[in-house]
Amino acid sequence: MFEFPQFLTIPLAEWVDAGMSWILTNLGTIFDAIGTSILALLLTIERIFLWIPWIVTILAVGIIAWRALRQWWAGVLFAAMLVLIGSFGYWDLAMMTLAIIFASVIISLLIGIPTGILMARSNIFQSILKPLLDAMQTMPSFVYLIPALMLFGLGKVPAVFATIIYAIPPVIRLTNIGIRQVPKSVIEAAQAFGSTPKQILYEVQIPLAIPSIMVGINQTTMMALAMVVIASMIGAKGLGMQVLLAINRIEIGKGFEAGICIVFLAIIIDRITHAMAARKEYSMSN
Amino acid sequence: MENTALTKGSSQRSQMCIQVEDLWKIFGENVERCFSPEMRASSKATILEKTGCVVAIKEISFEVQKGEFFVIMGLSGSGKSTLIRCILRLIKTTAGRILINGDDICSYNDQQLTHLRRNTTAMVFQQFGLFPHRNVLDNVAYGLKVQGVAEEERYIKAREVIDKVGLKGWENYLPSTLSGGMQQRVGIARALAIEPEILLLDEPFSGLDPLIRRQMQDELIGLQEEVQKTILFVTHDLDEALKLGSRIAIMRDGEIIQVGTPEEVITTPGNAYVREFVQDASPAKVVTAKNIMEQPKVLLYEWQGPKAAMHTFRTTMTNSIFLVSHTGILLGLITLERLVKLIRNRGNSLKEALEPDLPTCTADTVIEELFPLAVSTMHPIPVVDEAGRFMGEIYNSSIMISMIQEKETGETEESDKEESHV
Ligand SMILES: Nc1ncnc2c1ncn2[C@@H]1O[C@H](COP(=O)(O)OP(=O)(O)O)[C@@H](O)[C@H]1O
Ligand SMILES: [Mg+2]
Repeated sequence: MFEFPQFLTIPLAEWVDAGMSWILTNLGTIFDAIGTSILALLLTIERIFLWIPWIVTILAVGIIAWRALRQWWAGVLFAAMLVLIGSFGYWDLAMMTLAIIFASVIISLLIGIPTGILMARSNIFQSILKPLLDAMQTMPSFVYLIPALMLFGLGKVPAVFATIIYAIPPVIRLTNIGIRQVPKSVIEAAQAFGSTPKQILYEVQIPLAIPSIMVGINQTTMMALAMVVIASMIGAKGLGMQVLLAINRIEIGKGFEAGICIVFLAIIIDRITHAMAARKEYSMSN
Repeated sequence: MENTALTKGSSQRSQMCIQVEDLWKIFGENVERCFSPEMRASSKATILEKTGCVVAIKEISFEVQKGEFFVIMGLSGSGKSTLIRCILRLIKTTAGRILINGDDICSYNDQQLTHLRRNTTAMVFQQFGLFPHRNVLDNVAYGLKVQGVAEEERYIKAREVIDKVGLKGWENYLPSTLSGGMQQRVGIARALAIEPEILLLDEPFSGLDPLIRRQMQDELIGLQEEVQKTILFVTHDLDEALKLGSRIAIMRDGEIIQVGTPEEVITTPGNAYVREFVQDASPAKVVTAKNIMEQPKVLLYEWQGPKAAMHTFRTTMTNSIFLVSHTGILLGLITLERLVKLIRNRGNSLKEALEPDLPTCTADTVIEELFPLAVSTMHPIPVVDEAGRFMGEIYNSSIMISMIQEKETGETEESDKEESHV
């Protein structure tokens, strides 16, 4: 009696399925091409990370942290964290996770920064993209796994794909904001001296937007890291998968180890990119 | 006021640099509505109320000659910035023509416009508009960079200009580390670096404190004498306009209501608005020595002897006379007292009886600067030209009288106005 009336049923699921299969049959080649390029990039990065001797990686991270944060103890601390990861036996898995993060971030920046620039230059484009970005950021992250799965199947490629979609909004948003908040008086001065629109973009707008873009890069990287853990549900090998396995087998100790490794990676990446962004800001205002 | 004389001379050859003809700039939508005869006769406020359009520039025409220092003065909101931006086409004009060196720039395409901005004009902004991410050197070299000048060459030029504006040693600092006055020097250097024919300045000194401001004004005058550009200078400060301009255009509500030399604006204000504006301006700042100097009744000449001089003193009943050379160069002032002493000591050259520390002025000296001279001496002040030739003398009493007269005319105008109100 109080059941929802049958005639109001909307077969959305069927429509989506139909749409998906249409995409797969008609645009399959395009997604294949995208998939192979993502895979090629990912595997190259992964191979490099795994090839570099662990001691070199640890030293390099220590030195970079020391230079970026201008604090010697930060270098020592971060190096020690990496040593711990290795001592848990997760070195290779950590490098694989890092490779997925790197690949996703690189592709996110390659797409996100130009998109942000376009968005800053066109109010129409901004008004279309803004609600889309809002929606992308409010959606639960594992929702992205579904289309990724459908388009690319199981494995690393859909993981990277889902990570990109999840992580790309901040860099687009902050590139847009960075360029839009360049003072009008400065742009006018550049115009008055006969700069072309292209010169204004490269000589004035982008350089002045860099602090903001750097913050965007930091946020995108952190979101990529968060997503990588979730993406392991669709078969991306790495630290996230260890956590997942440990949960399934109820191995609290193992899960804790893998979890701590992820936290270490998060701290290291966040602090270093954050310091770089802050440094840019400092040199600009000074 | 030397500038005035100069430009008046060259105007006969009439080398026009900027000509603005019936220029309109209206902000808003459907601006055609503002051109109806009814609207043309209405005030800015009425048009805004009826159509929602802001008439920032209303049918303005004026001409600036080559090498002229042209000042546009008006209160905030009178449309000065809009006008100067129209001349660079930083904003699109609504109607009218702007000719630069005879070329209508309103019909320019992007390329021609870029060429004009790169090579002919340069602008200095009130908010400086410096590039915060570039150091002083790169800021100054920016105009050359967009022109495509090689790095080495543009740095040489930039250093030269930085030197000229007195910022040597600051090349590697970011603008934010500099004081306001220094930042505006960077703005001026950036404009000068491209060696523009026309310099546009939009209230460049408004944000600076009075002392720095005065100094910058003096330096700008010095620069103008050195580089001889055509300058269009916008200000809301009358004293600044009077000090700098060879001609001044006074704007109100988007219209130019008077154009003239500083003297003309002060002494014959075009209407009540200008009069009100200039009534606070002290004539001491614009009336010059040549307006009040007089020709002396007698002079002494260097070849005359003391006895002859004494005879001149007796017949004219004065106690001081100027001594000049045979080429008319002023040698000094002889007083009766010193002449008597000379004769008693049997000296035979009048030069031995000269009054020490004689102040002099030129025809362009404004009254304000004559006051301290007048106070320092009891004798008349001689007026000389650049070569030191004697041109006339100024009595202390004339300085006082000129001030009183100005005051009186000011007061009668005041009462005129009251009558007309009734
Ligand atoms: N972009 C704009 N849109 C609308 N109105 C404007 C704009 N720019 C200036 N105005 C108006 O035009 C008038 C002249 O402004 P402006 O040229 O800045 O005056 P000034 O420089 O003399 O202070 C003002 O009434 C101002 O409100
Ligand atoms: Mg203004």
